[in-house]
Amino acid sequence: MMNEANLKTDTNIKLPLSFIIFALIAFAASQIVLFVNSGDLLAGEFRLPKIWMSAHFMLLGFALMTAMGAMYQLIPVTFLTPIWNQGFGFVQFAVTAIGLSSFAILLGYRPNLAIHGAILFIIGVLMFLFQMAMTLRARKERNIMSYFIIYALTSLLLTIIFGFMLAYNLAFGEFFAHLSVLLSHITFGVAGWFTLLIFTLSYKLVPMFSLSHGFSMKWSKAALSLYLIGLISTIFSYWVELAGLRLIGFLFLFLGFGCFFLDMREILGKRMKKKLDQPFTFSIFAILNGLIVHFLALIAVLIKNNNPVLWGWLVFLYIFTWIIYSILGYLYKIIPFLWWTHKYSEKSGKEKVPLLKDLLNEKLGSFLYSLFVFSLAGILLSIALNTGTLLFIFFGLQALASIIYGMSIIAVLFK
Amino acid sequence: MDLKEEVMAALHDVLDPELGVNIVDLGLVYGVDIDENNDVVVTMTLTTPGCPLHDSISHGIRNRLAVIDEVGNVDVNIVWEPQWDPSRMSEAAKKFLWG
Repeated sequence: MMNEANLKTDTNIKLPLSFIIFALIAFAASQIVLFVNSGDLLAGEFRLPKIWMSAHFMLLGFALMTAMGAMYQLIPVTFLTPIWNQGFGFVQFAVTAIGLSSFAILLGYRPNLAIHGAILFIIGVLMFLFQMAMTLRARKERNIMSYFIIYALTSLLLTIIFGFMLAYNLAFGEFFAHLSVLLSHITFGVAGWFTLLIFTLSYKLVPMFSLSHGFSMKWSKAALSLYLIGLISTIFSYWVELAGLRLIGFLFLFLGFGCFFLDMREILGKRMKKKLDQPFTFSIFAILNGLIVHFLALIAVLIKNNNPVLWGWLVFLYIFTWIIYSILGYLYKIIPFLWWTHKYSEKSGKEKVPLLKDLLNEKLGSFLYSLFVFSLAGILLSIALNTGTLLFIFFGLQALASIIYGMSIIAVLFK
Repeated sequence: MDLKEEVMAALHDVLDPELGVNIVDLGLVYGVDIDENNDVVVTMTLTTPGCPLHDSISHGIRNRLAVIDEVGNVDVNIVWEPQWDPSRMSEAAKKFLWG
């Protein structure tokens, strides 16, 4: 038995909100940069400074900052342990935001100077990792979710180490094997850090938002083990020539993701809430996308297709339809939670307060999610038809959707 | 209506803000104890451990019961055993959620 005091794990709302508002601005910026530079993408060219700038605004500015903000809010409630030092969290936000902005902008305009922004950004991420390590250390009990989050954070650390090596190469000439470092950086970042983090959040949030009960999570250990084996094998295949290693890596990544998918299917099958909210459905849709992209990547490795344009688009689809769509869906649920708790929690029972769904404009959300999918389908069609004008239009629509999305989230804070 | 019944009736006004269903119909309230000073202990659970709405629901209970003049102090005890399960929900709640 525990009373309310034992459950006090509140985070100052300003901390997660700082990260999330920054993230929404970065998301709009990333889409506008993509829109303006859509011609380069038509040529299948991803490794250009402006595209790097957009990718880093999207993955670091939007996805990473959202993830950090969400973790500041969700780690205390998931693991029932308070954040180690919230004041330190605000300093970490400032260092990371300034470092990231300067890093992304320098990547676009002065790549040789990007290392300076990268150093500040890395300090910010290390501060975050330290904060999380101190927070999680306080919790003695370990379960499978603890291991998911520990390996996700370890992947984040490895991502920034490889990222720093890349920035070093750009600044001082190639010292580390550039392509191997680049591929390791991308794989640890998107598959290691983001995927493992979304796995963790989904195991917590999917049952909560669907009011599921009596599910087993029986595939979770297999999901983590297989995914980690896949990750390590894939990374090694970038550094050593060993026949079949990359195929094994991608096979295990697919199997690990498949186990996670099976658990999610069971959880949703045992839900008590029939009609799921639209934003949450979008996150579920993202899980299916992730599985499909993993399968496509496995097939590409199986048939030994090393076409960089194909792989560029596979990575793009993975980032967008799995990572970004997951975040876009969950964020539309998490922000009303945060705001409601902050503004109405103490008024509950005293006066009439709105429900969480009253804070959301679900119709607008549905429209925006459709617009995101429509834009992406249009982008892929434009690439297939090799049509610059269409590509420009669809990237424009995607940029518009991201701006309205950001504004609609911020509108919750005025309700 | 005695005080215990009055308290139970009042708890029907405390909603889970995510689901829009009150905590009694959700089957979250395991018991209400009232001592000789009219201090009230509400023993309840949450649908999932670590539910981010635990504070909000506790505030809701305290605020709602504070309206009843006879009630003294209010304490909310969160327990995880027995674990909540959907069979504890009322038919009305089940119908509301499942249609």
